[in-house]
Amino acid sequence: MRINLPYRTTLAAILATALLGFAACGDDKADAEPKDTNTQAVAAAVSVSEPWARGTVGSEDPTMSAAFMMLDNAGTEDVTLESASSDVAGRTELHEMAMKDGKMVMQQVEGGIVVPAGKDMLLQPGGYHVMLMDLNRELVPGEEINLVLGFSDGSNVTVTVPVKEFTEEEGHYHEPGTPEHTHGGDDKVVKPSDEAATPSEDAEDDHEGHEH
Amino acid sequence: MSPRGIERRRLLGHVGSAVVGAAVAVPTTALLLDTESGHSPSSSPTPGPIPISPYGAHQPGITAPPPAATAIVALDLLDEVDRAAAVRLLKVWTTDVVAMAEGRPVPGDPARDLAQSASLTVTVGLGHRAVRRWGLDVPELARVPAMRHDRLEPRWCGGDLVAVVGGADATSVAHAARTLVRDARPFARLRWQQEGSWRGTDGSGHRATGRNLFGQVDGSANPPAGSELFERTVWIPRGPWAGGTTLVVRRIRMTLDTWEELTREEMEASIGRDLASGAPLTGGDELSDIDPEARTEGRWTIARDAHALRSHPSRNGGARIHRIGANWTETVPTATGSRVESGLLFSSYQADVDRQFTRIQQSLDESDALNEWTTAIGSAEFAILPGLREGGWLGETVLT
Repeated sequence: MRINLPYRTTLAAILATALLGFAACGDDKADAEPKDTNTQAVAAAVSVSEPWARGTVGSEDPTMSAAFMMLDNAGTEDVTLESASSDVAGRTELHEMAMKDGKMVMQQVEGGIVVPAGKDMLLQPGGYHVMLMDLNRELVPGEEINLVLGFSDGSNVTVTVPVKEFTEEEGHYHEPGTPEHTHGGDDKVVKPSDEAATPSEDAEDDHEGHEH
Repeated sequence: MSPRGIERRRLLGHVGSAVVGAAVAVPTTALLLDTESGHSPSSSPTPGPIPISPYGAHQPGITAPPPAATAIVALDLLDEVDRAAAVRLLKVWTTDVVAMAEGRPVPGDPARDLAQSASLTVTVGLGHRAVRRWGLDVPELARVPAMRHDRLEPRWCGGDLVAVVGGADATSVAHAARTLVRDARPFARLRWQQEGSWRGTDGSGHRATGRNLFGQVDGSANPPAGSELFERTVWIPRGPWAGGTTLVVRRIRMTLDTWEELTREEMEASIGRDLASGAPLTGGDELSDIDPEARTEGRWTIARDAHALRSHPSRNGGARIHRIGANWTETVPTATGSRVESGLLFSSYQADVDRQFTRIQQSLDESDALNEWTTAIGSAEFAILPGLREGGWLGETVLT
């Protein structure tokens, strides 16, 4: 709610970073053609259900969205979701929400999202999610987008993801990304502006940008 | 058993995935409670509700046995919702309908743990304005003209879209109705919601027609599902709407206070049926046809204004409908506390509103002994979409 200015500033920085990273990130799985996707033997372990992506119509920042889903690992080995890509997003990252200095912040997941053997893992608002950045168009409720998920067992899964209206308070899940994030655990968050220097009073509605 | 992960699927979209089961309903096995502990033995759980496939030539809620719990939601379209947006809305709903039928959470459900197999069916239809705005042509959909006995309240009338949710329990149905309304939010707003319940089993757990709150067996004259008569009565036969139908939703208030003053004989005479069995007063069993001309000691066995006679096909040019009832009560605040109104949420399915529903209703409006204790307080008409194809979306034949 507050901090429009830091938010925008941060965003610009992020987008700049995004552009630098574009070539590396943007072309990986999406263009890697379905040779893997069709290989059942490789992709069999993890199934995807309940996929959806948040629409951007009327959202605060229509260049970003997030996708959520249930990952179900039927196999006997842990499998890690390592990457994601979509033709609607210039850049895609795997994110989590985590407590940092008493505030909930969004950060890139280090090492991907592990789906333990025989277990499932829900990607959901307020938790793990696939962050879609640099969207090249509006996402309208009722349409479908494609998402390619890359797993540690070498499989790629293409998922058709319906776009739905986002029903929860946007600030919870839609904070700017933190592309160069290296927060391991004990870390100091560098505030992008003086205003944000006051420590946490509202954990949910701050658009923290963490740049290092 | 985990509610999820029963099936594995990889490719999904609005159309969901594989189906579970077929459209069947099985009598609930009566479960004897262990009265000592107050619980049924945990080692022998009640068999759960059987999923009803969302796919087929027709939407399954129309031919399924009347569900224990019903919620009907009617929505009004937002101004800007054009035909392209309509397709998106119907795709969102298709995803939901398939997930609900399979007992899975819909994507993004904030209360996903509520999802479980509940024999959920969702029947989706379009009201007059939607049909007009999207340039559709459904000659079978007509407005029901005002009836002399109607006391319609705007809060129970009209609507641009409808979703009829049926299920084995009221909790699942409430959650499903809420979900459909929420997911329609970019496109439409709730206009009204009506709920009701039905007891489709007898005391020993066998399928039964069920009773309204007057105690009458209600629905005996329905054409048997799957019969040629049913097909002819209910489905629109050709064109883009083939396999669809029309729905008239009537909210009927029933005045129990004065009804209860009647003798049993008077009650039976007003409808022309035996209260205990539902059989016509002219004899036979519940499903026997009435004999309009039968006399007892020179007088008509069935009174000329009996409901069963006035609504009989022989009195209405052969017109029939397929009716599904749901009983409701509504608590109304008063100065000192509250009082309760009772009634029937009456869904009438027919291939053609004018030729079937309206024809019969006008005959009843003219004369029907039951009019003394029943009053329509809500009315709405919808064109019900044809069935859902696996991999398709609701309404694709009419909107593409």
